[in-house]
Amino acid sequence: MQPAISLSGVTLVRRTQEELHYDLKRSVMNALRFRARKVKRATVITGLDVTIEHGEKVGVIGPNGSGKSTLLKLIAGVLQPTRGSVAVEGSLSPLIEIGVGFEPELTLVDNILFYGVLLGHDEAVVRAHVDSILDFAELTEIREQPTKTLSSGMSARLGFAIATEFRPDILLLDEVLAVGDERFRRKCAARIERFWDAHSTIVLVSHDLSYVVRTCDRVIWLDCGRVRFDGGPVLAVQSYLDTVPTSVDIRSGADLIALAASAPSPIVVRGSSKADDEITIFLVRNGYRWRIAPDGEYRRIAVIWENVLVVSDSVIEQVPEGDVII
Amino acid sequence: MTSTAAARPTSPRRFAELQRLAGLIQIAALRSLKVRYRGSAVGILWSFSNPLLMTLMYTVVFGTAFLQYFDHSIVRYLVYVFVGLSVVTFFLNATSEALLTVVTNGALLNKIALPPAVFPLASVAANLFQQLCTMFPVVFIISIVVTHDPVHVLLVPVVLAGFALLTTGFALALAALYVFFRDISYIWGVGSFMLWMTSPLFYPAQVAPERVRVWFHFNPVGIELSALREVALGTGPLDWGLVGTAALTGIVACFLGGAIFAQTRRGFMDLL
Repeated sequence: MQPAISLSGVTLVRRTQEELHYDLKRSVMNALRFRARKVKRATVITGLDVTIEHGEKVGVIGPNGSGKSTLLKLIAGVLQPTRGSVAVEGSLSPLIEIGVGFEPELTLVDNILFYGVLLGHDEAVVRAHVDSILDFAELTEIREQPTKTLSSGMSARLGFAIATEFRPDILLLDEVLAVGDERFRRKCAARIERFWDAHSTIVLVSHDLSYVVRTCDRVIWLDCGRVRFDGGPVLAVQSYLDTVPTSVDIRSGADLIALAASAPSPIVVRGSSKADDEITIFLVRNGYRWRIAPDGEYRRIAVIWENVLVVSDSVIEQVPEGDVII
Repeated sequence: MTSTAAARPTSPRRFAELQRLAGLIQIAALRSLKVRYRGSAVGILWSFSNPLLMTLMYTVVFGTAFLQYFDHSIVRYLVYVFVGLSVVTFFLNATSEALLTVVTNGALLNKIALPPAVFPLASVAANLFQQLCTMFPVVFIISIVVTHDPVHVLLVPVVLAGFALLTTGFALALAALYVFFRDISYIWGVGSFMLWMTSPLFYPAQVAPERVRVWFHFNPVGIELSALREVALGTGPLDWGLVGTAALTGIVACFLGGAIFAQTRRGFMDLL
C-alpha cells in the first residue's frame, strides 16, 4: 500500500517578499536603462524526504519561517516543488487556518456550496451537508445573510466547519486551535479528536507544543527548511526547547498574564516572587505537570504538558532555575 | 492518487481534469452572477440599460453627423451602434473583471489546489451568459430582420464564438500579467479605451483617415466587430475572407492568451 503522503527530495525555491511591489512601469524603465533587476529567490525547503503512513498523526514544529506552513502547502498541492516530488493518496482537507477566502457579498449558504464544490464534492452532496455545517458553526440563524456580516471569529468557525465536515482522509491543520473563543476552541478540539480516532492521517503545524506532545505520535522539527529531528514527540519538543533560550523575569501576576497572552510556546520561568493577582501556575517537573494550588502545595495532574493557564490566586515559591515550564 | 511533478497525466485523467475544470468554472461563474444580481430578480435585465443608454447617446450626439453613411436612416445607425456595443461591452466587462480574478482569489488558491485559470475563465463565462440572455438574441433577431439570409443568420453565432475566444485570450493573458505587474489594471484602462476608440464602433469606418484605417486590420476587436456587422447587417454578397479572419483571430488570441497563462502559472503562488 502506498503511504498517505510521501515527499522525496523536495526542494522549493520561491521569490522573496520584497519582489511583491513590482510593476510594469518600473520594469520597463529598468530595462531601458539596462538595469534589469534580477529576481531575488530564496530556498524555503531543502531536500525534504518525508513519508507519512496512513493514520499517522504528525506534528510539525519549528521557529517562524522554518517552512512549516510551506510544507503543508506542498502536501496540499497548493505549491509545486521546484525539485523532487510530492505524492498524496486520499482526499485532502483544505488548509485549515485563519482567513478563509469567502466571497463577502454571498450568503453563508452560497459560500458553503461554493467552497464544497471547490473541494471537489458534488453540489448535491454539499447541499445535503449545509445544515450540519451551519449547525456546527452555530450560525444557522443567519444562514441567508451575506458573509461580510460575520465577525472574523465567526468566519473562522465557518471555515473550520466546512473543512472538517467532509471527513477528509488527510487533515492538514495550521494553528487551527487559535480559532474562535475558548468554548468553540474546545468544540473544534473535540471534533479533531474524532479524526484522531477515525484513522485519519493528520499533519498539524502548531506552536502549542503541549498540544503537539499530547496528540501526535510523531513530530517533525523543521529548521530553515530542513528536517532537524523526526521522531518521538517528547524528545522532539525537548530538543527543540533546548535551542530556544527564553527566559523571563516575572515580578507580578500582571507580568505573568501579559506573558501568557503573548506566549506562543512554553516559557521557562527562572524564579518568581509573590504574586499579587489571581494566578495558578502549572509546573512541569520530572515529566509530570503540577499545579501550584493557592496554599502552595503541588498537585499532580494527569496531562504532561500544558501552556500557561492563569486562573486563581496563589503564592509561587522560589523555583530552581530552568526547572519549570508553564 | 494525486501527484505533482510526477509522470505526465494519461488521457483519461486528462479528461477527468477537464471535467473538473468545467465544473469549477460553472460554480465560479454562478458565484459572480449571484454577486452581481443579488437581491434583484430582474437584475439581469439591467444589463440592457447600459448599452441601450449608450446607443441612445451616440444616436443623439452623432446620429445626424453620420447619417449620410447610413442611407439617411437613423434606425440603421442605431442598429449599427447597438450591434457593436453588444460585443464590445462584453469584451471590456469580461476582460477588466477577469484581470483581477487570480489575485483576488489568492487566498483560496493558497488553501485548495485549484487550477487558477478557473477564475478568469469564470469571468468570461459569467459575462457571456449574461449577454446570451440579453443582447445576443437581439443581435440574432436584428440579423434575421435585416438580412433575410439564413447563411448570414447562422454565421452570427460563429462570429460571436470568435469574439468569445478573443475575449478569453485577453482575459487569461491579463489575469496572468496582473499577478506580476499590479499596474496592469491602469494600463488596461487606457489600452481598452484605445481599442474602443480605434474600433469603428459608433462611427462608420469610412470617416477615419486612411492611415488610421490600416490599424483597423490589426485591432483584433475591430476585426471581430466588422465581421459581426458583416454577418448581422450586411446585405450584399458575404465577405467570407472577413469572417474567416475573425474566426482565426479569435482562435489565435485564445491560444496566445492560454500560452501566456500556462507559461507564467508557476510563478503565481509566490506573489499571491
